[in-house]
Amino acid sequence: MSNEQILKTSKLTKSFGNLIAVNHVNLEIYKEEVVGLIGPNGAGKTTFFNLITGLEIPDEGQVVFKGTDITAIPPHKICQLGMSRTFQVARSFTEMSVEEVIRVGAYNRKKEKEVQEKVDWVIKFFELEDIRNYKCSDLGLASLRKVEVARATATEPDLLLLDEVGAGLTSTELFRLMSEIKRLNQETKITICVVEHVMQMVMGLCERIFVLDAGELIAKGVPSEISNNQRVIEAYLGRRGYSESSSAS
Amino acid sequence: MKHKKDRIIEKFLLLLLLIFALIIPLIIGSNQYNVLLVTTVLLYGVMATSWNIIGGLAGQLDLASFAYLGLGAFTSGTLFIRYNFSPWIGMVIGGLVAVGFALLIGIPLFRFRIREVWYALTTCALVEILKVVFTMWEEVGGPVERYLPYYRGSLYHMRFGSYIPYYYLILGLLLIVLLVNYRITKTKLGYYLKALGEDEIAAEALGVNTRVCKLRALVYYSFLIGVAGGIYANMYGYVHPSFFNGQESIKVAILGIVGGRGIAYGPLLAALLLVGIQEFLRASIGGEVSGLYLVIYSVILILVVLFRPKGIATIFQGIYQKLIRREVKKEDV
Repeated sequence: MSNEQILKTSKLTKSFGNLIAVNHVNLEIYKEEVVGLIGPNGAGKTTFFNLITGLEIPDEGQVVFKGTDITAIPPHKICQLGMSRTFQVARSFTEMSVEEVIRVGAYNRKKEKEVQEKVDWVIKFFELEDIRNYKCSDLGLASLRKVEVARATATEPDLLLLDEVGAGLTSTELFRLMSEIKRLNQETKITICVVEHVMQMVMGLCERIFVLDAGELIAKGVPSEISNNQRVIEAYLGRRGYSESSSAS
Repeated sequence: MKHKKDRIIEKFLLLLLLIFALIIPLIIGSNQYNVLLVTTVLLYGVMATSWNIIGGLAGQLDLASFAYLGLGAFTSGTLFIRYNFSPWIGMVIGGLVAVGFALLIGIPLFRFRIREVWYALTTCALVEILKVVFTMWEEVGGPVERYLPYYRGSLYHMRFGSYIPYYYLILGLLLIVLLVNYRITKTKLGYYLKALGEDEIAAEALGVNTRVCKLRALVYYSFLIGVAGGIYANMYGYVHPSFFNGQESIKVAILGIVGGRGIAYGPLLAALLLVGIQEFLRASIGGEVSGLYLVIYSVILILVVLFRPKGIATIFQGIYQKLIRREVKKEDV
């Protein structure tokens, strides 16, 4: 982790009708770190990702990426600038082979002649050799998630956003994916931000954690701080009064 | 990875097909009607293969193919009738006019993210609108056919007095269209189109400028069909607003889908089989039981959709893969 900021949001706000999904969120991510973004269901994590990757346009606030203001820039340009993401619900190109999918990502930075080299590197890194010619429709969920991370990595991002890559995986699969993400961060120095439900994954993976609840950033810090933070515990388990009354009954 | 041997077999098969296509007119050349039928089949092949770029690869259900064909035909035809312009140049200008028009509607359509059925309906309407416009536009179209000047065998005017040269022209164009298709699938644009055809949002997140990619696909598609329009006008010797044929435009899309979306030779295969069967049936039993040929054609279509939803091309792919696997097994022993 260096001291240089790679992403900074200030007063980022988005509402859908009466619901404020993201409310004045200020956070900053530093180069080469792995950070986690957690929060209960409906906390606004995915909306936050959509805002910084250009899928949704914020009502208010600013997103600065590598020193440039990228608020409301179309998604493909943000990817070209060096921010790549995966999706909560796996959005796979079902009729394409694993290799082809990764190639689509690799074209982001590579010319026609160098692209194959990049594809081979990514396939080797994520150990996808066995399934490189498989169609995505023939893959299981664990492989699909891996391919999604692989294709996002192929775009050569500086910042990689992973939206619940662990969802629906068994603990063995999850552990394997985690170690790959960790290795990716260590070997390529890509900054990684994960949105996660699975606490085990976040606590094991992240150097710093941001906690969102009902659209607001309620805590940030290292994992040990977060797990002892009163507001975070309340957000996840409810207020004391509730838990006592439920345990009494 | 393909083996060297497979590539040689592939090339040999292609060469065989090409030779067969080249000598067809020599076999049936005595009957001009048959040559016209075969040429029509190839023309559908050209259109369906061009459609594959926008419809198969990019996944946009475009139903405006005959709009571009008509525009190409009218441009080339009008230049010829009015200014004695050589159709060789006219057909290229026709292609460019088609492109211009495609951009005119493509830019706002893609700008406002009109997709799927809405895109289909809009492009479908385009054909009908153009038909009305050209029927009203007396200077160029009008309700009566405008005949191209008659020359018996003038290369400059692309008038031959026989259908055979047109057959070769369309065959040449078909090869070009196939080559363009094949090239696109091997390059960045092809991968991008395939990706956005499956999921636009995911593609955009990978740095794909979907709007520009779709426009480029539209340009290739409209240009190739516009050029075909120039040949079409000369082959029939007249231009008429009925060239803007909505029903046939849908047929081109059907051929593209039934052939196998995204597979370069799929739509051609569908055109050869389906249009071939249709024209054959029409010629053989169309006179006795009118309309029966359409019933048979539809039944075949339904069967293909039921049993091969991913296209006729997959049948051949299946056979081919089986052959390869057998060879691999032999190598293992």
